[in-house]
Amino acid sequence: MDRRHFIGQSAAALGMLAGFSGQARANLQKAEILVIGGGYGGATAAKYLRLFSNNTAKVTLIEPNASFVSCPLSNLVVGGSRTISEITSPYDNLSKRHGVKIIQDSVTSIDPVKKTVKLASGKTLPYDKAIVSPGVALMMNSIEGLAQANKAGVTLQAWKAGPETVALHKQLASMRDGGTFAISIPEAPYRCPPGPYERACQVANYLKQNKTKSKVLILDANQDVTSKGALFKKVWAEQYSGIIEYLPKHNVTAVDAKTKTLKFEVQDDIKADVLNLLPAMSAGEIAVKTGLANSNGRWVNVNFLNFESTAQKDIHVLGDSIQIAPAMPKSGHMANQHAKVAAAAIVAELSGWDVNPAPVLTNTCYSFVNEREVVHVASVHQYNTAEKTFKTVPGSGGLSPAPSTLEGVYAWGWAHNIWADSLG
Amino acid sequence: MKSALLLGAILSLITASGFSQAQSADATKLYHRSLAATCANCHGTDGKGVVDGGMPLINNLTSEQMLTQLKAFKSGAREGTIMPQLAKGYSDEQLEIIANQLGKK
Repeated sequence: MDRRHFIGQSAAALGMLAGFSGQARANLQKAEILVIGGGYGGATAAKYLRLFSNNTAKVTLIEPNASFVSCPLSNLVVGGSRTISEITSPYDNLSKRHGVKIIQDSVTSIDPVKKTVKLASGKTLPYDKAIVSPGVALMMNSIEGLAQANKAGVTLQAWKAGPETVALHKQLASMRDGGTFAISIPEAPYRCPPGPYERACQVANYLKQNKTKSKVLILDANQDVTSKGALFKKVWAEQYSGIIEYLPKHNVTAVDAKTKTLKFEVQDDIKADVLNLLPAMSAGEIAVKTGLANSNGRWVNVNFLNFESTAQKDIHVLGDSIQIAPAMPKSGHMANQHAKVAAAAIVAELSGWDVNPAPVLTNTCYSFVNEREVVHVASVHQYNTAEKTFKTVPGSGGLSPAPSTLEGVYAWGWAHNIWADSLG
Repeated sequence: MKSALLLGAILSLITASGFSQAQSADATKLYHRSLAATCANCHGTDGKGVVDGGMPLINNLTSEQMLTQLKAFKSGAREGTIMPQLAKGYSDEQLEIIANQLGKK
């Protein structure tokens, strides 16, 4: 072989490789990536797809709401120590600072075969990759009479932060002194395991200061408190003795809106003045409708290396909608972490690289037991190759030893940082 | 045959040292960024936390200082609320990657 021939073949070889590399990069730059839902999962995914692709990926976020309202911290609004504006963040930094295209609209259907998404406005958008992060749907039919009662405003859920959060505080504020605020909890899994118990603390804190003859009744379908149990029970005994009553194994089956009466599987009926009924939950409506909820028709099974749905290729599902790995909570922090694993995997796939075989997730969850003191639970989840799931690391994570004001400061610090990380 | 072998050898050489290494370096960088991003929920994107936000800021630490603190949390030598619990969930190698990624350069 002469030198010219050698150089020619080398150039051809280089060209082949360059072509491959160029192809992969072109895929990353040309692919249409649609993110459906701008909660902790979706907003974070949109931002990190841009960051991890060095601002080359084409990312569109579809979200019906004009601004983001945080579910974490919203119990303080129910209890009246904070306002809804303090937990609301704009979406526009995602477009201004990160180049995410934002469409304020709802997705009415997804066609996984044609790879298109239809919007309420009538538009149809194509996608190469879709990220579906719709949160949870409330299964109103799981409690007889709930849909009508909720529609009439007699019962409120306030489990998706927004107008109902404010309305529930108003109901609490206008409740007669000597009245009962009842909160019902469905069987786990549901969004935010400690959330209902934190809410009970916030309502009790309000009553302690404003309506001393009133009480909070916790009607829990579970056998026991599902998260931070010992800490909550200690707080109830020490700070809210005579105000909070906890009734486990009380599964609400029906509500009579006229008489504000709750019915149970076994126990006698209970009447209350304010009804905050949390029904069973499932993956968000669009995920169920698209056929992604292949775990008992309620939750979405995903490949935990890239959060791709096991039901449909190129649809990645994040956050509260998924069938969780063992000990993985349905929390805002966790949804943010799902988003980063999915974003990195999608950037890798579209760049022609192997997906990270060893992703890591953390969770931290703060609960306010009054307006200043907080308890937390934390965990670290490493991917387990043999079992193809995330497993908590033995010896890691844990609970607070007791409520503290220092953790109260950290809880607000966490909130400001995660809002900035997801949306800023 | 000879030229095919030579081409194969060239391809191997290029693959081992050229483009694939570049790809691999980019992919590794992405993995490291995504590992460090597990800290961002509390300490801000790329370790740049919200100033006066209430959470301890880490963006003034060098990589060495950060690794020393992470190891101290993991061993229990340094007390804290959540960090001793979280640090125990990462391998030493992962803590090094995080410190290298987020520490002030």
